[in-house]
Amino acid sequence: MLSALLLIPFFGALGLLCWPGELATERIRRAALALLGLQLLWSLRVLLAFDPGQAGLQLQESFAWVDSIGLDYRLGVDGLAMPLVLVNAALTLVSGICTRDLSQRPRLYFALLLTISGAVNGAFLSENLLLFFLFYELELIPLWLLISIWGGANRGYAATKFLIFTAVSGVLILGAFLGLSLFTGQADFSINPVTTAQLGMGTQLALLGALLIGFAIKIPLVPFHTWLPDAHTEASTPVSVLLAGVLLKLGTYGLLRFCLGMFPEAWALLAPWLAGWAAVSVLYGSLAAIAQRDMKRMVAYSSVGHMGYILLAAAAATPVSMLGAVFQMVSHGLISALLFLLVGVVYRKTRTRDLEVLRGLLNPERGLPFTGTLMILGVMASAGMPGMAGFISEFLVFRGSLAAFPVATLLCMVGSGLTAVYFLLLVNRAFFGRLAVTPPSGDAVADSRLEVRLPAVALRETLPALALASGVVGLGVLPWGLGKLSEQATTAMAQLPALVAAIQGGGLLS
Amino acid sequence: MRPIPRSPKPPLTFSGGLPSSDDLVETLLAGRTLLAESPDHLSQVVDVLESYGEVLDAYSINLIYQAEKQFLNPFPVFRFLDGDHSPAKIWRHLLHDRINFEYAEYCQKAMLWHGTGGLDAYLDSEAFAANCAAIVARKTRRDPLLAALNPLFPQFLCELIRSAATTHALGQFWRVMSDLFLDLARAERDGRVDSIATVVTFIKEGLVAAAGAPITYAVEIGGTSFWVLPPEAGLTFLGDVAVPYVEAVFLRGTPFLGTVSFNAQAQQISPDQAQFMYGALYADPLPTMGSGIPPSLLMQDMYRHLPERLRDRYLAGIRGDGDMRVKICMSFQKAMFCVTNAAIAGTFPHPLTTQAPGEQAANRAHAAAWAARLCVARTDCLDDPG
Repeated sequence: MLSALLLIPFFGALGLLCWPGELATERIRRAALALLGLQLLWSLRVLLAFDPGQAGLQLQESFAWVDSIGLDYRLGVDGLAMPLVLVNAALTLVSGICTRDLSQRPRLYFALLLTISGAVNGAFLSENLLLFFLFYELELIPLWLLISIWGGANRGYAATKFLIFTAVSGVLILGAFLGLSLFTGQADFSINPVTTAQLGMGTQLALLGALLIGFAIKIPLVPFHTWLPDAHTEASTPVSVLLAGVLLKLGTYGLLRFCLGMFPEAWALLAPWLAGWAAVSVLYGSLAAIAQRDMKRMVAYSSVGHMGYILLAAAAATPVSMLGAVFQMVSHGLISALLFLLVGVVYRKTRTRDLEVLRGLLNPERGLPFTGTLMILGVMASAGMPGMAGFISEFLVFRGSLAAFPVATLLCMVGSGLTAVYFLLLVNRAFFGRLAVTPPSGDAVADSRLEVRLPAVALRETLPALALASGVVGLGVLPWGLGKLSEQATTAMAQLPALVAAIQGGGLLS
Repeated sequence: MRPIPRSPKPPLTFSGGLPSSDDLVETLLAGRTLLAESPDHLSQVVDVLESYGEVLDAYSINLIYQAEKQFLNPFPVFRFLDGDHSPAKIWRHLLHDRINFEYAEYCQKAMLWHGTGGLDAYLDSEAFAANCAAIVARKTRRDPLLAALNPLFPQFLCELIRSAATTHALGQFWRVMSDLFLDLARAERDGRVDSIATVVTFIKEGLVAAAGAPITYAVEIGGTSFWVLPPEAGLTFLGDVAVPYVEAVFLRGTPFLGTVSFNAQAQQISPDQAQFMYGALYADPLPTMGSGIPPSLLMQDMYRHLPERLRDRYLAGIRGDGDMRVKICMSFQKAMFCVTNAAIAGTFPHPLTTQAPGEQAANRAHAAAWAARLCVARTDCLDDPG
């Protein structure tokens, strides 16, 4: 069943590339959307088959692939991966839908989109470290191509920077996985905390450190974040949606699954430092967002800040904080995708994202009132306003982490307050006041008389954002569904350090 | 696959010209129109004035109804129904399937508050106070609530009567203007009006024809008729109502809340009312339909009565029906410059063809006084963007 989540996008991509004859862009787009729709439906089918009452991996599929190097094709899904698989399917579909006016190479574009989606599914479902790494690296090149071919004016620089950073991330992760095999003397690349417990603490810390930095680049956490704002700024809207909504989650997923999941003892040792790192990341991301004048960079820096919450939650590793981490991954996926979509609409209509230029976009007749309304909803959700997804996730993270790391949690709460600051700056500058889409000329009278003629936003352009906004509100009002889905897995994960300690002490074996 | 070449994107902004005060003086003295001459301008102005005429007809009927039938009514809940209290009318009213009479009240309050011209002078006169005393004495005999209020707030009922007098006067003014604008539309259809210049001339002649028409107002209380604005006051259409209306609504206006916040304590609003520049000729059409923007109500009303030709023109725009009210407001502002143009032309102290230096100087002073106010108005709308 799980293999279909890989086969649909991969064979779909292959089919699109190899289909004989000329195909009109719209036909290619429709075919890709059909495949992505099918992937979403299949993900929902997996959800129906998934038993949330079980903590472990389910619906497992496996066969030996390259036995000699320990590379097995083993897939499984648990309460941590299931929501992310759904988010991946939904957001890739949204990316496909909001891809319009594709001027070149539509086949390649949609094939890359499908490849990324399949690779992300593979990474979330892998039960084998090498298989995970394979998929983790597989999404790298398509994303690099998506930025460097369909990106903005500085796309070459941004794409190369992204490639270098994430390639280093991949090297570190692969190094850690190979190191694990080397030090344990086993060619077993299954995810098993008991294996790592056999290692000395120094070795564990070294391997965990490599993994941490590898995933910190991907998430990204300060100071490994510099590739993200550039990549977002140059990427097209659908790619930004995918990048923020799905691909960053590979890093946080890796953090929970491999760092915490495989090195629980070393993780517990590093936890206070990690909480501090989270606070720095949150505060830095938030303060940097305040200083931005490009709307997209502001949203990108908000991502840097909000990813810090997940590190805080993972550092605390309590059942509540772990559940909060999953909520944060999902809600950040939806909210940041929503915000990037809306920034994309603003850019398409006004040809600028400059907060020093844009004014009054909420103008009911000549502006982008519905886009502005959704933007206000999005920023409220991001700032953790009750009734929306951001509140549930931040509340759970803070509630679960406060007892363990009160100072770091309080600092992260300040970061949450700063989210309101920079997003209110954004809304106030770009959406309130008299409508303007050109830089001030210096003559206030002339500026106040400028007639603005923005094209209207069609309903079909707003529908993806509306769907995401519904998800944000839906998750905020009815969080129990996701909670039920992940609670067993996250609770089990929170108990890993104690479990491993008990096993080592012979408590469970005797 | 080769990239698909994209058509050049249309400009997102348009900036009209801003003529200087000297340019405006020369334009006025040469008898040229303020609004650029173009077929598009002609159809916009005539059509928007036609819809305005329809709306003014409703405003006028309602204001006169309010002044006469809702006189000193402390709770005028049904004042917008023009006396028709049928369930169907009330239902339509509740569903807001109606004209926004609130805008008429807004203009009336602006007139009352700015208080310029002969009407305001009469409202502060002894004769008016005597009329008020007689009306209040009669009214309080039959109305216990007013009888209780009057001794406590002796100026309250007088102020309400002043307000009612302005309401009635505005109703009479708009009656004339409504007929004039509807006649203009007919004249354009007949071919008698075929340019902006002839539009201005048509309006000027209409204003001049009505200039001396008397403005009077009487109310009936308990079967007895009382004059509020008696014929003896000598109030006339042009000098006592039209000019104060132009001053209050076209020029001064009120600094309503909207996209701009005003801080009166920081002197952002002039303490001298005469310096106000918030009227129709200064208004920014772009925020139309934003909250707290009263002209939005007028634009909604005109939208209900838009002639087909103008509607089709608007629908052909980049936003179609989406920004119709802003476009109406833009056309309306052009039309108001034409009306102002007609008012200026009709009030020159001497014919523009005069050769006498003294008369020429007087005309120039008249034009310069107007130009000084108009050069900071929204003259950017006078160009034809094509």
